[in-house]
Amino acid sequence: MLSGEPMERQEFRAPEINGVAPAPKAKKPEKAKPVPDPLVKVEDLSLFYGTKQALQDINMNIPRRQVTAFIGPSGCGKSTLLRCFNRLNDLIDDCRIEGEISINGKSIFNSDVDITDLRKRVGMVFQKSNPFPKSIYENVAYGARIAGIKKKSVLDDIVEKNLKRAALWDEVNDRLNDSAMGLSGGQQQRLCIARAIAVEPDVLLMDEPCSALDPIATAKIEDLVTELKNKFTIVIVTHNMQQAARVSDYTAFMYIGDIVEFDTTEKIFLNPAKKHTEDYVSGKFG
Amino acid sequence: MSSDQTDELGIEEGSKQKQIRRRKLYDRLARHVVFVGGAGIIFCIIAILFFIGIETIPLWKSPGKKLESVSEMEDRLASGAPSGQVRIFDIGVDEYREQFFTVDSLGSVRFFTLEEEPKLLKTHTVSHKTTGYASFYSARTNTSYAIADREGYVVPFEVSFRVEFREGTERTIVSRVTEGDALRVAEEPIEMFAYQSSPETGAPVVVAYTASKRLLAYAEVEEEGFLGESETEVFTTDLTGELGGAVVTGVQVDSEAENLYVSTANGKLYHWSLSDPSSPELKSMLAATADPGVAVTRIGFLLGHRSLIVGDAAGNVSVWFETTSGGEESRLAKIHVFPPLPAAVDRFSASQRGRGFLASDTSGNISLYQATSAAKQLDFPGRGKPYAGLSFSPKANGVVAVDSDMMLSSYYLDNPHPETNFRTLFGKIWYEGYDRPRYVWQSTGGTDEFEPKFSLTPLAYGTLKGAIYTMILSIPLAILAAICVSQFLHPSIRNVVKPVIEVMAALPSVVLGFLAGLWLAPLLEKIFVATLVMPFMVIGLTLFALFLWHRLPFSFSGRFRVGAELFTLVGVIGIAVVLSLWLNGPLESLIFAGDFRDWFFSMFDLRYDQRNMLVVGFAMGFTVIPIIFTISEDALSSVPRTLSAGSLALGANRWQTAMRIVLPAASAGIFSAVMIGFGRAVGETMIVLMATGNTPVMDWSFFNGFRALSANIAVELPEAPHGGTLYRVLFLTAILLFAVTFLLNTLAEVLSQRLRRKYAQSDA
Ligand SMILES: Nc1ncnc2c1ncn2[C@@H]1O[C@H](COP(=O)(O)OP(=O)(O)O)[C@@H](O)[C@H]1O
Ligand SMILES: [Mg+2]
Repeated sequence: MLSGEPMERQEFRAPEINGVAPAPKAKKPEKAKPVPDPLVKVEDLSLFYGTKQALQDINMNIPRRQVTAFIGPSGCGKSTLLRCFNRLNDLIDDCRIEGEISINGKSIFNSDVDITDLRKRVGMVFQKSNPFPKSIYENVAYGARIAGIKKKSVLDDIVEKNLKRAALWDEVNDRLNDSAMGLSGGQQQRLCIARAIAVEPDVLLMDEPCSALDPIATAKIEDLVTELKNKFTIVIVTHNMQQAARVSDYTAFMYIGDIVEFDTTEKIFLNPAKKHTEDYVSGKFG
Repeated sequence: MSSDQTDELGIEEGSKQKQIRRRKLYDRLARHVVFVGGAGIIFCIIAILFFIGIETIPLWKSPGKKLESVSEMEDRLASGAPSGQVRIFDIGVDEYREQFFTVDSLGSVRFFTLEEEPKLLKTHTVSHKTTGYASFYSARTNTSYAIADREGYVVPFEVSFRVEFREGTERTIVSRVTEGDALRVAEEPIEMFAYQSSPETGAPVVVAYTASKRLLAYAEVEEEGFLGESETEVFTTDLTGELGGAVVTGVQVDSEAENLYVSTANGKLYHWSLSDPSSPELKSMLAATADPGVAVTRIGFLLGHRSLIVGDAAGNVSVWFETTSGGEESRLAKIHVFPPLPAAVDRFSASQRGRGFLASDTSGNISLYQATSAAKQLDFPGRGKPYAGLSFSPKANGVVAVDSDMMLSSYYLDNPHPETNFRTLFGKIWYEGYDRPRYVWQSTGGTDEFEPKFSLTPLAYGTLKGAIYTMILSIPLAILAAICVSQFLHPSIRNVVKPVIEVMAALPSVVLGFLAGLWLAPLLEKIFVATLVMPFMVIGLTLFALFLWHRLPFSFSGRFRVGAELFTLVGVIGIAVVLSLWLNGPLESLIFAGDFRDWFFSMFDLRYDQRNMLVVGFAMGFTVIPIIFTISEDALSSVPRTLSAGSLALGANRWQTAMRIVLPAASAGIFSAVMIGFGRAVGETMIVLMATGNTPVMDWSFFNGFRALSANIAVELPEAPHGGTLYRVLFLTAILLFAVTFLLNTLAEVLSQRLRRKYAQSDA
């Protein structure tokens, strides 16, 4: 991480970095950019870690069966926003959320929402691959087992199908019962993807899935993302501008808890509306 | 990298070099200190083990013998009488093995020095006037005797030795013969007899087998006369009729003068009760040999006179005693059978220090037997001649035998712990008077004649019982608490709960044992039923409360921190406890018909001891639970958050995540925790010492006590004479304890390594 430390309050007020003027504060409440067939709607979302505000009045729509990329400098709140979608922030003490997120038109913060059900619908792949210390088979079958599926043949099918989807089947089909810890970093990450999609989620969240991988493994994951978008709505956080440009259909540029610009990837990279975005994507700061 | 830093700090080359050198020096120094420390500890442990081990070595040593002297005694023993006319009846030895004495048919007791060339020290001739003595009886080895003459008189006498220190430090042993009154038992020569005097009244009892093949029981009974003066009445009972014409080969009366044993040439063993000396009562008649053609050739007593040694013409040696085995009535039975002697059994001499005895045969072989372990310990090859006298020295460290050629051999015997071998220490042993072979620990008894019982099995059993039950009570509590604290509670709560539980482990176990034994044990007995009900009550009410909590509207419950609801449970648990206590009386009268102890006893034959396993379990829980809890909690907390996040992100709830992901990932640590707790429970001393009755029973019942290896050391060591068998057995106990803990820890380490490898985290 380039600036992983939490930002200070005063810095937040006068965020003049590398001589670049801060993004002009948008007039609140800014309407989110409309997208075709939106699946996830974020409205006026603010998030506080204790007293510290990490997200400010986020409004956005995430299109169905498209890849949406979140880019922005470290600490700007990409992961935080991502974790809002499956309410993983609930685990963090002192985390408070205001605003609204709805998936398929249904709020995820409603008290009648079953959080485990939500998380089944919103899968997640983490920055650091985190296979369970179990066999490859058990990793992929985990979600199904949690859901109460016990039949071996069903589990077998699920494992095979999703390992194939994750382009891992050919590499591991002869050692399904070996520990997942024996896989390479790239394989582990693909296993985590297989594990996540085995639950058949609507949305797949990926938080910098390639940041710890070598270029070849990264390329494989990128191919996989392109492949999977036919089936899933994918939100991917990335540090790598090229990656965002390669895999995503929409891109959101975030800066200090705010979405500076959100548009089609083409537009963001070729013809951004904001000077700030242009500076970032052309590598003037970061 | 570090040199880069110093560069940045702007330190010049020279001091940089110096610093590097200094750092290297420290590094090396530290390495050596660490090495010396580590190696030192290992060395110390090995040294401790070594020294403890040395103390136990004599327990396993097989006995050794050394032939100290062989002397031709013909001339000396026959002095004063024509050769061949004097018959030696038996010999005896003093405690220090400096003198021995012979008793012969002239009625003389002759004392000699026990050395290569024995010197005659003194001759004492019994004052009773007679033409010669026909038979002899040894009422107690080396001390109490009687001889019978050809006119039917029996003369008892005692031989004693006194140690005197004359002029300086020279030790002198002074022998003494004390004669009793001669008793007229029969009108004819007595071929064989037994003599004892009643320990209470001193009244003599003689059973004599006469030249005319009659068996006579003679008893004197003191009775108060009309005017208060004491009168002695003599009863003589003829028992010949009951023998059915068999030829008597041995007569023995025990030291209580209550039992008469007679063996016959047709292989029978008769047992009379002499409880009423005026009328002996035949209790049993048993076949003592495999076939009636084989004669019983010799009978004798073991120390304590409760076991009878029986030898037959075929060389078989066996030990018999009265037991209730196989019936209500106690009766004489053959208990131990020993490896036989080559020829017909001729003589016995019992040890005065234990259940050992010597047996010789007609061709001069002597064997040393140990009754407790039913083993033959040593052989003393003979010279082909039967023995005229055989004596086991009073300290059981020597054997003196004189054969029919008047050749005297004296052996030194190195056998300090004859009663311990692998079987007696760990196996089932049929002890004297028991109904069947058992594992028994009973190290000391009231008298010197007590048969020590050194089975370590009940103690190991006690240790395991205590540890296993403790673990059964502690493991679920400790691990569930660890899961709860590490996975479900807010970290700020955890920061309070954890140190508090850890403080529990710091409580001295003496205090816990004291509280458990003196406060908890009586209390538990009073509220026993409530204690049984309490777990169910607590769990039931808790579940009910949690169910209610879930039914509360989220708008209310959502305002609390996750896990805060657990605090309301403290109150619920309190209510459950109070409710259980309140139900104690009613339930006891309802279910257990008023008194649970009687109920348990009548229903399950379970005895309820006040200081029982339950009490120990509670007290030990205080030491074991914190250990398991802390280590498990650390293990659970150190499972990477990303793993549980990964599980939660797949839609698992917190319980599923904890049980399926976190618990297995932490299993190595939890396993170690359990094993360390187990090791602690095994080694715990003060609590098991104070909170149990320390009775070495072998019983899995939860409601009685036990004696653990560790507590046994604490209980017995103050009573154990240095170098004695008990002392060494206690050292053995210590080694056993060490071995168990060592084994457990090694096993724990090996298994937890394997678990660790299995659930290894990928992070480098
Ligand atoms: N658990 C947390 N507690 C407090 N502050 C946090 C926590 N997680 C992230 N933050 C802060 O929130 C801001 C956004 O972080 P994050 O979403 O991780 O940024 P990004 O993923 O864009 O690098 C950062 O300032 C970070 O320090
Ligand atoms: Mg991040």
